[in-house]
This record gives sequence, structure tokens and C-alpha cells, in this order.
Amino acid sequence: MGHSNWPEWIYVAVVIALLVYVGAEAWNIENLIDHAPEDAEIIKVTAQQWFWSFEHADGTKEIGELHLKKDHAYKFEIHSKDVNHNFNIPEFLVLMDAVPGRINTVWFSPNESGEFDIQCREYCGLIHYNMRAKLFVEGS
Amino acid sequence: MRTIWAPIILIVLFATPMIQLVFASETPGEYVNRAQEIWNLFFRMMTIAFVVGGVIAGTIVWQVWRFRESNPKAKPTPYEDKGDL
Amino acid sequence: MVLTLAKPRPIWQIMFSTHHTDVGLMYLIFSIMALFIGGAMAIAIRVELFAPGAQIIADAMTFNRLFTSHGTTMIFLFLLPSASAVGNYLVPIMVRYKDMAYPKLNAIAFWMIPPAAALVWLGMADFGWYANPPYSVISAPAPAAEMWIFGLKILGISSVLGSINFVVTILKCKHPDMSIGKVPLLAWSFLAASTIAIMAIPTFAAGLLMLLTDRLGATGFFNPLVGGDPIAYQHLFWFTFHPEVYVLVIPAIGMMYEIIPRFSRRPIFSHSSGVFAFVLLSIVAFASWAHHMFATGMSFTEKTVFMVGTLAAVPASAMHVFNFLATMWNGRIKFATPMMWAVGGIALFFSAGAGGVVNTAMPLDFITHDSYWVVGHFHLFVFGTIAFGTIGFFYYLFPYVTRRMYNEKLGVVHFILSMVGASLTFFTQHLLGLYGMPRRVFDYPEIPEWIAMNQIISIGAMIILVGMGIFLVNLIYSSARGKPANMNDPFGLGGKYYYPYSQLNPHHDKAGY
Repeated sequence: MGHSNWPEWIYVAVVIALLVYVGAEAWNIENLIDHAPEDAEIIKVTAQQWFWSFEHADGTKEIGELHLKKDHAYKFEIHSKDVNHNFNIPEFLVLMDAVPGRINTVWFSPNESGEFDIQCREYCGLIHYNMRAKLFVEGS
Repeated sequence: MRTIWAPIILIVLFATPMIQLVFASETPGEYVNRAQEIWNLFFRMMTIAFVVGGVIAGTIVWQVWRFRESNPKAKPTPYEDKGDL
Repeated sequence: MVLTLAKPRPIWQIMFSTHHTDVGLMYLIFSIMALFIGGAMAIAIRVELFAPGAQIIADAMTFNRLFTSHGTTMIFLFLLPSASAVGNYLVPIMVRYKDMAYPKLNAIAFWMIPPAAALVWLGMADFGWYANPPYSVISAPAPAAEMWIFGLKILGISSVLGSINFVVTILKCKHPDMSIGKVPLLAWSFLAASTIAIMAIPTFAAGLLMLLTDRLGATGFFNPLVGGDPIAYQHLFWFTFHPEVYVLVIPAIGMMYEIIPRFSRRPIFSHSSGVFAFVLLSIVAFASWAHHMFATGMSFTEKTVFMVGTLAAVPASAMHVFNFLATMWNGRIKFATPMMWAVGGIALFFSAGAGGVVNTAMPLDFITHDSYWVVGHFHLFVFGTIAFGTIGFFYYLFPYVTRRMYNEKLGVVHFILSMVGASLTFFTQHLLGLYGMPRRVFDYPEIPEWIAMNQIISIGAMIILVGMGIFLVNLIYSSARGKPANMNDPFGLGGKYYYPYSQLNPHHDKAGY
């Protein structure tokens, strides 16, 4: 090198410190939201080209629409009948791949009532762009 | 290699208390508001990104302004006469 | 020496040559052609998305074929060949050898690309550049998918052959007086990138074969109907193509290492830290592939491992940025076109990297995954960083290739338009992603924010298009009519560094050239 390089090492140390902070923060929040509460109601989500169908715990089935209650916890069990899809409610940051042959889970608790979009976030073919459904959250 | 201590000190000073803070803020009884937690994390990350980005972009802009050859203060570098850069 | 239109060489002489500058020239011309073909596809996509509803593309199938071919073209037919072009021109000169180690292999590696490109462009597959099963196995229309698979197979072999050539040339053919530590950073970048390519590509090569036999119905590796696992394909794919990102970005950084010291009129701040960062990056490159798959139902532990692996790549990249800025410090910088592209590339490199950190921070994946944020993020990398470095280097090589100067004013206008266009397009794509718009969509609902942002993005793309048009005019006009370049110092920097590039070549340049 031939010359002193200490500024670079300090700089690298600062970068590493920032990354450690980012990693620790991310780990924390992931840890916070990862586990579904015990009393979460299970909703089976089925993705297929190119629509969504839902089955509530009591056996009620819905196609293209999902009705939930405010301030209840819900755990989605997501699977696909044909190709990969991705179950996404952008408003509540619910997002999980629907993969044939697997059941993926994600949980959330809607904290406001209203009408929200459900969309497919993983490319799944011809009508991927319009593989949408509606989420209705009814007040408690 | 004294600088190896810098990241360790920084971790102890900042990361660890932050971990405790986040855990302490959990209120029992209610469901975690997933979207709120994630967006808060996002905005914390953006704060860091924009501060660091501002420093880097500022440095680049300043260097571009200060060390351009048309700057009145520009001096020939000691390497120019040697020919082979 | 190579392409002097004043004294043209017969085209067959270039085509059947195995000399490194001729192969480099063919790589160069091919990659620029692919840039414009891929760019035309991007423009079609952006015009389509300018407003909700069908604009110029009649149906979703055509749109899906377009974005698939756009991605495949830009990655495999523009970026990889453009890096090979630069490497072919300069690596043998930098290690002071007469040619590449295996000249015939070199020509073969190039000539595999046009047939592969024909397969990709004539087939127009529709499954995205990642060809995820089960869609690519059970749903994708027939001849196109197979053509894409064979095209990529050929491109993979070509890439491995080219990489072997670079590694052997640098390690075995360098001048005996030159220790490996003294090899210039541009050549080092090719050593690092080629090593990654050789290690990474076989995995996807296997995955492609498995995909093909799955499609033929002979096997069911990725087909859940017969017990296969589609996620296994994604692991094979990303184990190759996350490192591939570094295969693309490392040569671009190497090109910046060539440009920045010259135009700052100072030597590189630290050659050894550049080498260290390249080596580190080429190891860490293999520790982060599954961060593309956080949403496939990975466990918390798996996600944590790949988040840490991804973050580990940041210090090495940050060292390069430090090295660039420290080199410019106290310099006397001449802002000719190549330097502008390099500095613009560094600025966008930071934003791209910061976006990557956000993507890998586990919970934030719920915001960004498969949204336009990701599109903006990787375009900042491939266009904002890699293509910026490469296009800057094309300007830098221009006098070497043509013995003429490009038009400086047009070069500056091209840079400014690209910088403005790229910022407008790709930063707005990040925002659009935060508003929840998914990628790979032919149409979108009439949400006012989405419409506004899509229009800004499309306008940005048009600005880039205008810049690229100027680039093309500059290239063609200047190589025919440009001012003859002073080959010892074409940029007026006052050094003799350009001289070794321009030495007459015993292969083709007879005395009295």
C-alpha cells in the first residue's frame, strides 16, 4: 500500500456498525410479527389461475371476496392449485407465496374497517394483472 | 488493529439498548399491529439511508465542485509530471 | 487499429478472426445492438403502462413475452457481452500478453451468442426471465419456452468458456515480471467475476436441464403434480443468478477503477483494498441467494441467515466507493464524458445498495417483495451502476477502437439525459412499489397515485430513449467522421497511460498502418 489507510478502516467500521444495527432491528421486528397468536382464526386461502377462494373456520366459503371482523386475529393457510401465486393485502402488509404442494401461513389482525384490495403479487400467467379480490373488514 | 473495537463499542452503545427498547414497547393483551411495526422499521431505515446518502451525495457534489480542473483553486497533482499515471 | 472506417477492413477478416481485439469488437457491436433491442422492448412496456387499459400492446400474452425478452436481452445479451468486450480489448494488454490464452475458444464463445440470441428473440418466451416452475413447466406455451431454455443453455456455456479464458489469461499468461498483486484492478475485476461465473453457472445449467425434462414429461423435479418441488428450482436459479449480479457489477466497478484515476490525475487511493474488496465480494456473493425467496414460506432462521449473508456484501461495496472518492480527493478532475458516467454511476450505486439493504431487512420484504420497488432497485443497479460504468467505458474506449474522437457535447448531453431519466424512472418506481403496485402486470386499476407515478416513469424512460438515440448518432457519425484522436493522450490528461492500449498490433496492423 505504501501509505497509511486508517480512514478507510474507520469508514468500514462505521459501515459494519450501521449494518449490525439494521440487522438487529430487522430481526427484532420479524421476531415480533412472526408468531401468530394462539386464538387466531384459521382461514384457508386457495389460489388458482386467476382467482382467490377462501374458506372460514366454520366452513363458509367465499370466492373473490373475504369478510373479516375488525380486531380479530386471522391466520391464513395459503396454498395454490396450479402455479405459484402470491397472496397480498397491501394495506395490511400481508404477503405470502401460494405454492402448489405447500401450505404457507401468515397472520394479521385488521385494525380498521372498510374495503381493501387483495392482489396477486407473483407472476402467474395471462391474467396475473387482474387476479384481484376484495377484503371487507366489518366493525366490531 | 485498534479500530476493531469501534464496531464493538458502537454495538454496545446503540444496538443493544435499541433491542431492549423494542422489546419493552410490546404491550400484552392486544394483537401486534403488523403494518405499523413494519412501516416504523421502514422509516427508521429510511432515516439512516437518507442521512448516509446525504453525506455521500454531498461529498460527491462537493468533490465534483472543488476538484474540477476549472476550479480556480485547482492545482496540478504531484503525479501529473511523471507521465504514466 | 480495429475499426477505422477511413481504411475499412473486409468484414470477413473481422468475423473469422480470433484476435482478442476483433473478438472484442464483435462483442462490442453485438452488445450495443442488444442494448437497443432490449431498450425498444422497455419502451414498448413503458408506453403500455402509461395509462390503465390497453395502449399499444393488444393482449397480456404479448406484454408477458416482452418483459421476459427485455430482461433476458439486457442481462445476457447486453451486459454480459459488453463486459466481455471490454475484457477482450484490455485484459491481454494489461497482463502484457499477445492475445487471450485460448484465442479459438474465445471466438467460439462469442459465436455461440448470436444463435442463442436468435432463439431468445424468435421464441419470445412468456414466463419472466426467471422461468419459475410450475408455470414454466405446465403453463408456458411450447416452442417459445424450449427455445428460451436452449438459448440460455448456450449462453451459459459461452459465458463459462469466456470466463475460463479470462482466468487462464490473467493467472497463467501474465508477464512473469508482474506479480498478481500488481495486476491492474480492471483485470482483477475480470478475474473475480470470471471465477464467480465458473462456480455459479453449473447450478443453473443443471436446473435448466431438469426444467427441460420436466417439460417433456420425462421427470417431475419441479412439478408438484408428480411430487416435485417448485421451490427447489428457485434455489438452483438464485444460487446462480444472485452471484451473477456480482459477475455483472464487478467488471463495471473495474471499469470505474480505470476511468476515475486517469481523469482525477491521481493513482488509485489503495490498489490493495480494491483487490481485497473484489475477492471478498466474490466469496460473499454465494452467501445471499435465498434473499430473493423470503416470501416462499422460509423459516425465520433461514431468513436470518440470508439476511446476514446479504448484509455481508455491503462493506466490500462500500470499500469501492471509498476508494473512488479518496482517489478523486485532491485531484484535478477533468470532466470528460467517461468521468461523468463513472461519477454518476457511483452516486446511483449508493442508492441501489441502500435499496438492497432495505429489501433484505426481513420484515421490509412484506412491503417490497415483487413490487415496483424491486424493479426500481435492480434497475438502479443494472442501469444506474453497471450500464453507467459500461457506457462511460465505451466512450473511454472509443478512440482506441476507432482512432477518432466521439463528439464531446453529444456525450455530455447523453449523460445528462440518462442521469435525469434514470433518476426519474427508477426512484419513482421505488415509490410506486411502496404504494403496492405489483411487478409484471399488463394493466392496473385506476388508482390516481399509480397512474401519476406510472406516467412519470414512462416520461423518464422517454428521456433515456432520447439520450440513447443521441448515443447511437454519436457512435455512428463519430466513428466515420470524428476528429482523428491523439492516440497517446486522446483526452488531454497529460499522461502516457493510453499509449499501451494503442500500440500497433502485430496480428493485424502491418507496418505503415
